[in-house]
Amino acid sequence: MASASASAQLERAYKRMLIPTFLAVGIFAIVPLVGMIGLSFTDYHLIRGFRGEVGFQNFVRLWTDGRFMESIYVMCALSFIGVAVQIVMGTLVAVGLEKIVPRWRLARGFFVIPFAVPAIVTALVWLSLFTPTLSPINAFFAIFGIQIPAILTTQTGAIAAIVIADTWTTYPFVMLLILAALQGISTDLDEAAAMDGATRIRAFFYITLPLLVPALTMVALFRFIETLKHFPLIFVLTNGGPGRSTQATNYYAYVQTFQSSNVGYGSAIAMFLFFFAGVISLYIAKRNARLADA
Amino acid sequence: MRDDSFSFKLKRGFGILMMLAFAVFAVFPILWVLILSFRPATQLFVPIWETPFELTLENYSAIIGTNFPFALLNSAITAGASTLLALLLGIPAAFALSKSRLSGKFLASWLLLLLRMAPPVGFVIPLFLIYINSGLIDTYAGLIFAYMSLTLPLVVWSMWTTFNQIPNEVIEAALMDGASIWKTLVKVMIPIARPGIVAAAILSFLLAWNDFFFALIITRSETVTAPVAVMNFVSYASVDWGAIAVASIVLTLPVVPVIILANKYIVQSLGGAVKG
Amino acid sequence: MYLKTTRRLMAAALAGAMALQSGAAFAQEKTLKVLLFGMPSTIGLQALAGDFEKETGIKADIEIIGQDVFENRITLSFAGRTGDIDVVHTPAIQVQRWVEAGWINPITDQVDALEDKDDFLKGPLEAYAVEGDTYALPFFAEVGLLAYRKDILEAKGQQPPKTWDEMLSVAAAINTPETAAIALRAAPGQGFNMFVFPALMWAYGGKFFADYPSDLTPAINSPENLKALQVYIELLTKYGPQGVGRFNFPEIVAAVQGGQVAMTVDGTSITSQLVDKEKSPVADNIELALPPSGPAGRFPPIAVHGLAVPSDAKDPEASFKFIQWATSKETMAKIALNQAYPDFTRASVASIPEVVEKYSGIQPNFLDLRVEALNEARGDYRPLISTWPEIGAALGENINGALNGLVTPEAALEKADQEVSDIIDSQ
Repeated sequence: MASASASAQLERAYKRMLIPTFLAVGIFAIVPLVGMIGLSFTDYHLIRGFRGEVGFQNFVRLWTDGRFMESIYVMCALSFIGVAVQIVMGTLVAVGLEKIVPRWRLARGFFVIPFAVPAIVTALVWLSLFTPTLSPINAFFAIFGIQIPAILTTQTGAIAAIVIADTWTTYPFVMLLILAALQGISTDLDEAAAMDGATRIRAFFYITLPLLVPALTMVALFRFIETLKHFPLIFVLTNGGPGRSTQATNYYAYVQTFQSSNVGYGSAIAMFLFFFAGVISLYIAKRNARLADA
Repeated sequence: MRDDSFSFKLKRGFGILMMLAFAVFAVFPILWVLILSFRPATQLFVPIWETPFELTLENYSAIIGTNFPFALLNSAITAGASTLLALLLGIPAAFALSKSRLSGKFLASWLLLLLRMAPPVGFVIPLFLIYINSGLIDTYAGLIFAYMSLTLPLVVWSMWTTFNQIPNEVIEAALMDGASIWKTLVKVMIPIARPGIVAAAILSFLLAWNDFFFALIITRSETVTAPVAVMNFVSYASVDWGAIAVASIVLTLPVVPVIILANKYIVQSLGGAVKG
Repeated sequence: MYLKTTRRLMAAALAGAMALQSGAAFAQEKTLKVLLFGMPSTIGLQALAGDFEKETGIKADIEIIGQDVFENRITLSFAGRTGDIDVVHTPAIQVQRWVEAGWINPITDQVDALEDKDDFLKGPLEAYAVEGDTYALPFFAEVGLLAYRKDILEAKGQQPPKTWDEMLSVAAAINTPETAAIALRAAPGQGFNMFVFPALMWAYGGKFFADYPSDLTPAINSPENLKALQVYIELLTKYGPQGVGRFNFPEIVAAVQGGQVAMTVDGTSITSQLVDKEKSPVADNIELALPPSGPAGRFPPIAVHGLAVPSDAKDPEASFKFIQWATSKETMAKIALNQAYPDFTRASVASIPEVVEKYSGIQPNFLDLRVEALNEARGDYRPLISTWPEIGAALGENINGALNGLVTPEAALEKADQEVSDIIDSQ
């Protein structure tokens, strides 16, 4: 079986298995991506059409565009805070389900439900919860004379609102991944350390957590990329406001492309995001390759 | 083994409290929408404890008259078909990537990730222009292919790691028995990888089912999907919260049992992805 | 063998794609595709589509979509020449832009040939005149009115405010923690806060441009505009409900109906929901009046919507037939009776007894009030230029920023001025 010709034949069969995917990805993903790169060097406008190529002008404009710079700041705030909150909460729930309430078998499923809620629905639901005159939370606390502040009217509050809504629907993803990782960790390790309860929490920090680090890094990177692409939440929940203080970069690319019709410039902004995604995905791919070799 | 000290109980109590708080956070918004969906128009935002018996099915019957059921069907068709297509194309590809000695695997893995992560806002316009010129605009095929560009990288990526966990000896044994490589995949590998396939299928179905942005750009009236149709309840002069609540429930409900039943497969399959 | 399977699969997929596509094309050929966005009048129109088919033999497929997704849909359909729309909902503030882009066709001759052309309200009809041609027929003209809770004002011994300055003092007198004095649209957007804010701006003597339409140098950062912005901010931050800085019309409707807000100034499509006894528990206590004025006069907010024929419509004649039917006296009267639709654009509808009876039930002088406000409104309440959507967005965002305290009012207007100037220059 290990003859050279049989092996070559096998490799050819493998190659054929790749062809359909290769074609499908090529046509429906690579071609549009190349199109995006092409458009970013033009001044294509949805109303005025093409006037011509503009070289690197769109990219030069990025440097001098205050709104673009601010959008990066907003994007970073949303991504870093969002990922941190989601990681912490997802991990806590996963660890809690495993270690604190292992008997809540059914609850496991309930904790996953928000993951199934479409982003646009998430946005609408939280919009009603964050609007003081509509929200049952405000109505409930009003009984006790407590006024919950409106959070969509300040930049910090609006960013927090997006993070909360996003966390609600994505922590299950983190939770599932951490649950998966926890099951891969031999339990006698921390049970041995947990002989007495006092050290049990410490054992988590010194033994379990370090073992979770690779999984956590992976989840964090995946979530980070996803948070860079926030759209429905901003579109519905904050409308980019107050002012334009929650127009993160991806949303700003949308505003330029669709509201101002500047497809060329919008594509240049998207290129910046694409570059970002490229670097992070390269890192993940390298890391994976290293793990596969090891 | 057991620790009955007060401080341990305190900590455990605190832990349970924390878990309860998380459970409330997870379930409360869904309960709120559920309540909203049964409230008549005048009572929508009157706290439920003030008029607990003012309930109605009107919101549900009203939505039948809109194009939302049609949009829901479109969502199911496109998300389902794109998932099937992605599995059909992606599983053999993942198998080949996992088991062959091809060069350029690293590049392929990077590319798959990159596609999974690329910002749609950049490439929908080129996609839109391609669709206009090829007549794929506002067709099921067009939307299915667009979703496939999201789901296929996901399927290949996750099945790749799943197949990596299956030892090469299994294939070698099958080939020894005279099975073709294609048969080996269908008869031997796929049954072993079933949990991974279920997980990949669910994740990619969710990806397409939840999509708002692609549908916003490349559908017109014939293939509008449910997430876009929900926005039709936000009209010029009013927002139909009752309809939105019903639509939200209807959009979420079909997926919930699947995800509850299958979450152990997802955990199993993700286990491969995060191992190490 | 696998390759063959693949090939077969691809062929099947392609065939499927073509079948679906031709199916769609076939469906489009025999019917008129009408794209509208959701409002009571368009929903009323949709319900009457059968009448149109009975009268003309042409089937009209009326699709109603949300306002937030409408612009996306239109821009891409027109820019991509997808030809999937035969009659399009055309807000007056978009018409210049669409004409400049060549997206809609003039219907001047057909409109001039209408026997009852003069029955259309003059202002709304003229809103669709671009360089001597008519591009749409109006079916909806709403005007801003003041809606107030007369029980609350009476209890505090207050008269309804006639000016924005009075509005401040009335608001101060009636504001309580349970019921805020006033809510106005605040969410950024050319059709959101920029539907209401210009009313204050014009009233205090401000303007958009140095000398519209001949000199489009922005005049946003004027002392008059600043005064208007300060009043707007003071009203909402001191006497507005919690979270008003993100409010748009739905939040306003819910807050007034829920008894959390006592006054608002908004279009008739909003105020008519406040006085609707089926939807609004406070309907009996709501009174409508002309919107407040200022030192420079009274400038009620106005919004006009019409129907136009896209330049890639398959059968422009049939499209116009639909427009003619939709804007006819009979159709408008039916909708006015079936829906909350005091915003009809034909003078004759206002003299139909059933219509008069229905709307005087809301308030005896309701229709007169509307006509009076319409007559006082200026057609260029929001400038009729093709760049308005971008300009409106820039102004709206900066004003919302100032309202929510992100920047000072001065800085907001300064920045808005600069941005408007950039938009004009980039033309």
